[in-house]
Amino acid sequence: MSDPVISTSSEPTAARSLAPMWILVLTLILLFLGAVYFDRHSGWFDQQVYSPYASAAMLDSYQPKSGAAAAAAQGKRVYEQVCGLCHGVDGLGKPGQAPPLAGSDWVIAKGHNRLAHIPLAGINGPITVGGKNWNLGMAAMGAALSDADLAAVLTYIRSSWGNQAGEVTADDIKTIRAGLVRPQPMSLDQLMAMPE
Amino acid sequence: MKNGFVIFLAAFAMIFTSWSAFVLGPQLQLGREKQVPVLNSTEVYPRSRHGEANQGLQVYRANGCAACHTEQVQQDGVACEVVLSSAGKNPAAISNLLATLNLRGLSQADAQAVSDKIAAGGGKVETHIVAVGPDIARGWGLRHSVAEDFLYDNVVQLGSLRIGPDLAGVGTRLPDANWQLLHLYAPKSVVKDSLMPPFRYLFETRKIGDAPSADALNLPQGFTPPAGYEVVPKPEAKELVAYLLSLHADVPLYDAPFTPVVVAKP
Amino acid sequence: MTVNETQTNKIDASCRVPLLVLFGGAAAWLVVGSLLALLASLTFHMPDKFGDCPWGTYGHLQPAADDALLYGFCIPAGLGVALWIFARLGQTPLRGALVPVVAAHLWHLGVLVGLVGIFVGDSTGFAWLEFPRGGSALLFFSYLLLGLWALMNFSGRRDSGMFPSHWFLVAALFLFPWIYSAANILIVGWPVRGVVQAVIAWWFGNNLVFVWTSLVGLGTAFYFLPKFSGRPLQTYFYALFAFWTLLFFGSMRGVPSGAPVPAWLPTLSSLNSLMLIIPVIAIVIIGWKTVVGAAGQECKGGSFCMVKFGFVAFILSALLLIAQSCPVIGRLTQFTWFGPAQTQLQLYGFFAITMFGAIYHILPRAVGIEFAFPKLIRVQHWLAMLGIFILVASLAVGGVEQGMKLNDPAVAFGDSTKAMLMFLRVSTTGLLFILLANLLFALNIFVMILAWKWSLVKTVFAFVISPLNKAEVKA
Repeated sequence: MSDPVISTSSEPTAARSLAPMWILVLTLILLFLGAVYFDRHSGWFDQQVYSPYASAAMLDSYQPKSGAAAAAAQGKRVYEQVCGLCHGVDGLGKPGQAPPLAGSDWVIAKGHNRLAHIPLAGINGPITVGGKNWNLGMAAMGAALSDADLAAVLTYIRSSWGNQAGEVTADDIKTIRAGLVRPQPMSLDQLMAMPE
Repeated sequence: MKNGFVIFLAAFAMIFTSWSAFVLGPQLQLGREKQVPVLNSTEVYPRSRHGEANQGLQVYRANGCAACHTEQVQQDGVACEVVLSSAGKNPAAISNLLATLNLRGLSQADAQAVSDKIAAGGGKVETHIVAVGPDIARGWGLRHSVAEDFLYDNVVQLGSLRIGPDLAGVGTRLPDANWQLLHLYAPKSVVKDSLMPPFRYLFETRKIGDAPSADALNLPQGFTPPAGYEVVPKPEAKELVAYLLSLHADVPLYDAPFTPVVVAKP
Repeated sequence: MTVNETQTNKIDASCRVPLLVLFGGAAAWLVVGSLLALLASLTFHMPDKFGDCPWGTYGHLQPAADDALLYGFCIPAGLGVALWIFARLGQTPLRGALVPVVAAHLWHLGVLVGLVGIFVGDSTGFAWLEFPRGGSALLFFSYLLLGLWALMNFSGRRDSGMFPSHWFLVAALFLFPWIYSAANILIVGWPVRGVVQAVIAWWFGNNLVFVWTSLVGLGTAFYFLPKFSGRPLQTYFYALFAFWTLLFFGSMRGVPSGAPVPAWLPTLSSLNSLMLIIPVIAIVIIGWKTVVGAAGQECKGGSFCMVKFGFVAFILSALLLIAQSCPVIGRLTQFTWFGPAQTQLQLYGFFAITMFGAIYHILPRAVGIEFAFPKLIRVQHWLAMLGIFILVASLAVGGVEQGMKLNDPAVAFGDSTKAMLMFLRVSTTGLLFILLANLLFALNIFVMILAWKWSLVKTVFAFVISPLNKAEVKA
């Protein structure tokens, strides 16, 4: 087979000519449009901005506000992590481990003061729950939780498993905590001595 | 441009720029990421995988599963939904009002307007954030995949082709280990017209001993081994299934926000 | 014979053995790769037949096929053509041919080790980077040897002028060791944490499959197009401009949109992909002005035809690449067969066919023997063109259809795969034609190698039986 007639012993050369301006101008225009595109879609290198969010402000505006549903979800998560291990995911407790929370007078009492003290300070000595005597003691399991988390979990147990009692807010917990200085586990008498 | 050294320098500069933008930059930004907090919770995300699931990732890699499957959920957008949390004193009026309103797929401004209308009627509402996109609609995940999802992967297997469905949320979508094993051994037995090759070499067909093994697969008609034989998964199959069951794309994070739906109280 | 022609023959002859090793191995891997690709495609038509042996699953076959094409054929062929172009343009015979011969053998060994590694389950799991450590180390050192030797010859050249092809080929020479070592060290050797692995893998894949092959393929095209058309390359400025813009914009892309990485990465990648329209325009102008209207254009299925076809395929491949980065089209084609269609068009339609044209021109001159089956060259050309057209068209159209179904949540996922089956069957036919074309190519190359070896044997034999000179006999 033969290539075209041209002698292949001559190497190719490149023609020189004046630089055409139009392609440079086109490049600059496209670069500008590209910069606009980058400004609109890149989130300006923010680590947390992923598409479809166009900017950090947009991402921030779409954070779900803590509503009742969110708080309930939060309360449920904290409960299952911290309290449910002893009190049971179903709130029924276990003999020899922890009393039930479902239907417990301590939980569904109108006021939440006594209830809040239990996880914040702990319990020592005998206590009656649902007609039965319990004497296991409880550590201050809520002492390490934040106000929001403790409020959420108390709200959760007050509104689950048939319990119907009012919510506990983070501010309530904050006030109660402020009143407790180096709390010791409370006895039944100490609990009954304080307002509901 | 007569000087080879000039080309070298300029090409070096360009390749260096490309390397800085796509290797150095991402490493500085993402390479030392730690666990991030889950939205509205004290948990952190992700949890590292336990042994079998970690080993399963190596089985996934060795068999080239990423050639057909992706592990990245995409999200086209984000929308607001208005949800009634309390009907207030006049439920009949509220329900009449709700019948006239569109509560889903709203922009933030529209959601605010709808919330105001319902609040004016005495009801209490919440605005939920939901992810929007065909992947979300198919149930492949609740939000788009983010860098944190792959934090503890020894080998990140994102995939680039969807010959098979996306697997980022397969642990949530198909949490049954038995289904997964059946699907690996004989995909056509659980998915009609599946194109996936049967990974029979991950299983052992052996004679039944004194009693059928607890692990033996319960295969449907047409896929059962010959009489007197049972199909038992090898360790690789079990590890791969453990890995698949560990894949979830349903935890709300700051960079992938959505309102998790709370299951109704018992 | 003019002095010029003697000089040219000397230059060509100096490339003989390195090119035979590089091109011979490349031809073998080309056939292996297209056979594996055909088998991989067949797994979709009879999935049940492939379930008993791990070596027969798509997850092993397809990566092996891709790597055999890229590392087994494309890179050695490209390096061989680059060496010859350097020698010719520099008007200097290559010296020290033992180095490239050893390096080429090491390279082919590395490809073998890598492919076997994929099949036994040691694949690294990243696209285009699947070769395990042993294979990739061999490839790296072999390339380093070849590259350093090429550079030494290049700097020792007699004609010190630089032609546009020089820039493209020299840049490519530098590019590969950097990206290959960075990718292997940061993903396989001392892996970075999390999704950064994927980003580096995308960066590497783009720089190798798009940038490196474009640089080498265009460098080759810019040498052969003016040579065959008898006109100077039009023009120096456009070639310079295309080189810089291709290198800059081409290397700053690769991250797909919607990837699980912060938005700036896919955005940067998209906008640089769209900027690639600039070098494409410049390259179209170069091709048009250099070739259109020149004498000797009837398509005889020879080298000129192949280089022209490859050039057009490059334009198309780059346009498909740019299209994939547009928000609307990209959303439709991501995760579909459209991506592999564009990759095959780039690697085979553009690069391999350009290399065929170059090799068919170079090898007879380097070895001094004509091809045994010149008519088959034309057959091979038509088969390859037909095959790649069928393959790319079926996968691209099918990919769009698949994308439309994937984006419609009302359509069950299984339907999107079922819709592809017909297109996959057509693409398998395309792969069959490509395999046949590659076999014909390999046949010509192997017969030439045998003819050369036979001529060596004959020379030695002739020497042995020739009558002794009086001076050679001890008195």
